[in-house]
Amino acid sequence: MITASTQPAESAEVTVVETAGRCPFLLLIASGVLWLVVSGILAVISSVQLVNPGVLADCSLFTYGHTSAMAESAFIYGWVGNTGLAIALWMLARLSGEPLRAPNWVLVGTAFWNLGLLLGLIGIAATGATAVPFLELPRMIQPIMLFSYGAIAVGGVLAWTGRRRDQMFAAQWYAVAALFLFPWIFSAAQIMLFWFPVRGTLQAVVGGWYAQSLWTLWMAPLALAGAYYVIPRITGKVLPSYDTALTGFWTLLFVGGFTGGRHLIGGPVPAWISSLAIVTAFVLLVHYFIIWLNLRSAWSGGGGTALKFIGLGLFAYLLSGLFDAITATRGVAELTQFTLIDTAQVELGVVAGISLLLTGALYFAVPRLLNRPWASSGLISGHLVLTILGLAIALASLVAGGWTQAHDLADPKVSFGTIADHLRPWLTGVGIGQAILLLGNLLLAFNLAGTVAATVREEGVQL
Amino acid sequence: MKNGALLFLGLLAAVLVSWAGVVLGANGQLGHLSPYYDDGDSQAYPLRLPGIAAAGQLVYRDLNCAACHTQQVRRDGFGSDIARGWGERQSVARDYIYQPAVQLGQSRLGPDLANLAGRKPTPLDASDLYALLYEGHGAMPGYAFLFDDHKVIGQVSDQALQLVGRYKALPGREIVPTRRAQELVAYLLSLNSGYDYPEAKAVAAPMPEKKPEVKK
Repeated sequence: MITASTQPAESAEVTVVETAGRCPFLLLIASGVLWLVVSGILAVISSVQLVNPGVLADCSLFTYGHTSAMAESAFIYGWVGNTGLAIALWMLARLSGEPLRAPNWVLVGTAFWNLGLLLGLIGIAATGATAVPFLELPRMIQPIMLFSYGAIAVGGVLAWTGRRRDQMFAAQWYAVAALFLFPWIFSAAQIMLFWFPVRGTLQAVVGGWYAQSLWTLWMAPLALAGAYYVIPRITGKVLPSYDTALTGFWTLLFVGGFTGGRHLIGGPVPAWISSLAIVTAFVLLVHYFIIWLNLRSAWSGGGGTALKFIGLGLFAYLLSGLFDAITATRGVAELTQFTLIDTAQVELGVVAGISLLLTGALYFAVPRLLNRPWASSGLISGHLVLTILGLAIALASLVAGGWTQAHDLADPKVSFGTIADHLRPWLTGVGIGQAILLLGNLLLAFNLAGTVAATVREEGVQL
Repeated sequence: MKNGALLFLGLLAAVLVSWAGVVLGANGQLGHLSPYYDDGDSQAYPLRLPGIAAAGQLVYRDLNCAACHTQQVRRDGFGSDIARGWGERQSVARDYIYQPAVQLGQSRLGPDLANLAGRKPTPLDASDLYALLYEGHGAMPGYAFLFDDHKVIGQVSDQALQLVGRYKALPGREIVPTRRAQELVAYLLSLNSGYDYPEAKAVAAPMPEKKPEVKK
């Protein structure tokens, strides 16, 4: 009954949403891809610095502490933020059946969001990071980010409240959740960490809660919104077991925020915080299971590049859920805490899982926004191959390196000099993986630029 | 799901529940943690950071030292923290109550620093730390920008680094720490968790009770 309506009637590939105003979506997507490249360059620099600590160490702007924080911020707020919002707004507008309302708000918001991020990265380099994972942008920048986000989200919220049909699809729940939740968690964390800082190790508790909430209440919903929308459209089939989707949604939202404390296991905070995190990391497996149930048709074969990226992203997303639960257990955490295994977890969940789901949605959206196919199919295949190769090398190196590091750290007789020697080959692997990923993402940028340029040539500057 | 208002309220509830559960819950427990007054020493612990050390913590934060260093010693038997000599007891929440920007950290590419100034048998002193920051060590690069390499005018500064080998200052020149380096080192020298709070004492291992159980 519910499953029958997973696909709203949408015969035309290009609807009034695209013809009446695609500029905001394209601006968001273009900014997202640009930040992806910037973040890739910074990630390569920071990986090189881990192998050869002397690189740029004399330059206070680009120490490892700064380049790694900048790469992370550009990736999360630049790539995931812009692209995720583009997909969410476009999809909400399409499902509302009307052109995006308040497009100028979205345009101005996007301009300030990206300006804020640029200033933020300059701020990290010049004045310093905040040393809070996922929230490294200087506090002076954060209000800009908050208000510009609000301006962008207006378009999405209006598209949602103005929808013609009452029935909402899973894609809409996730998109609306992401739109509303980011400002709440972002402002709560800002106030409690930077404007009126809480006392002592509570700062670490708030930081952990924010990082996890940003992941499970914002980035993951953005990516899943795209996947829930795109997969049935490409395969042309209803999503299997769609009636479980609601359970999967609320499990993520209600349970996700509690899992942040797993990074504080054994730390100077009340032990119940990490105990709760361990339990909820396992409860969250229900969410991952339902996502597998619903979206596994992405692996049904065929369907072109968009579906291949989504299939890969889905695989990484599910694996990251399992990885989270396993590394959250005390016995494993005792070893893997503070090692590259933690880095691998972020790489798998965000850089592979969430990011590839968004990439797939982007490959689906752009031809419809521009009403023309991608400029080059060769560049698409190249992007896919390089992405798989880069991620495989980076992840394998991080896991293998992290495992070595974990065992070395556990043995008090092994000095840090020896650990560094053991890690160097693996860190070289991470750097190579990051470089390959960057190369792949450059192909995406070229292809997007080429496709937009071809449209401009044909239709004039009127996007 | 049809009801938009219900979705909105559900979202609000989801955030509030996790925020109240984790953040407010922890705040209720730790928010009013007070210093511990030791009658024997006639003073309260932890000690407040001297102003220069508090400023140094902000230098530590700005440089994002936490990208490679943690500041939390885990209890004996959970990891090798104590065996590595990073501290004689686990870190407890009370250790951090006066710190303006707590730097627990999440990565150990370098050693833990929670008790850097309390290392046994002899902790590093200021000149060791300056040399370490200038020269780097192992995977840690030297941060020359924290130092000023200039011509000696008049007497050699008493702050000038006494380096040897290839880092030695050129003849007629001296390398002196900048204000930031001085703050950072003052902060690093304040990292000492030597005082044993009651809650930090390891629960006595039940050794004597266990012995009779061992048969044979």
